[in-house]
Amino acid sequence: MEGVLWYVLTGTRGGANRIRILRELSERPRNANRLAEELHLDYKTVRHHLDVLVQNGVVEHSGTGYGSVYIPSGQTRQHWDTIERIIAQVTE
Amino acid sequence: MSIWVDIARLSVGMSAAFLVVLLFIWGRNLLTFRSKHALGLVVFGFFLLAQNLFALYYYLVDPTLSVWFATEMPDIAWQVLMGIHVLQAVALAVLLWVTWD
Repeated sequence: MEGVLWYVLTGTRGGANRIRILRELSERPRNANRLAEELHLDYKTVRHHLDVLVQNGVVEHSGTGYGSVYIPSGQTRQHWDTIERIIAQVTE
Repeated sequence: MSIWVDIARLSVGMSAAFLVVLLFIWGRNLLTFRSKHALGLVVFGFFLLAQNLFALYYYLVDPTLSVWFATEMPDIAWQVLMGIHVLQAVALAVLLWVTWD
């Protein structure tokens, strides 16, 4: 899981935005629309990142469709120290 | 000269092109994340790119060896080299595919 987290969050083209999404979701569960508003990202971009995160088991969603709410997965919460280390290395 | 030579050279060229794109993505990530992993990917990509550029240089440019590769090397040897280069190009294409996300 740690390897997946490092690659999906710091090795890929969209990693930086996925970290921002994950940081938001760690504060409270949100749907894609809400995330797009808060992060000033395109709705379709957020959808794409959420799909990648779900496919890799980093986040999970409750419900389906438009109102579906996303939270960090159990695995991600178990490895939250890794996420924090990654977040700490973001230079803004 | 045979088709094997062309496929081998093309595969090396494609590997180099894939690596340039990967290095661009990984390099940008290194600027964002000052992490060991991001640095490791950039260094890895750099050396693999160097390896492919060396191969291209000796296949196409080097005054002595490019002639030798083009005229003296038997087909069977080119077939083996082609296999190696094609496998590497496919591997890098897959890596680029997952990295593009």
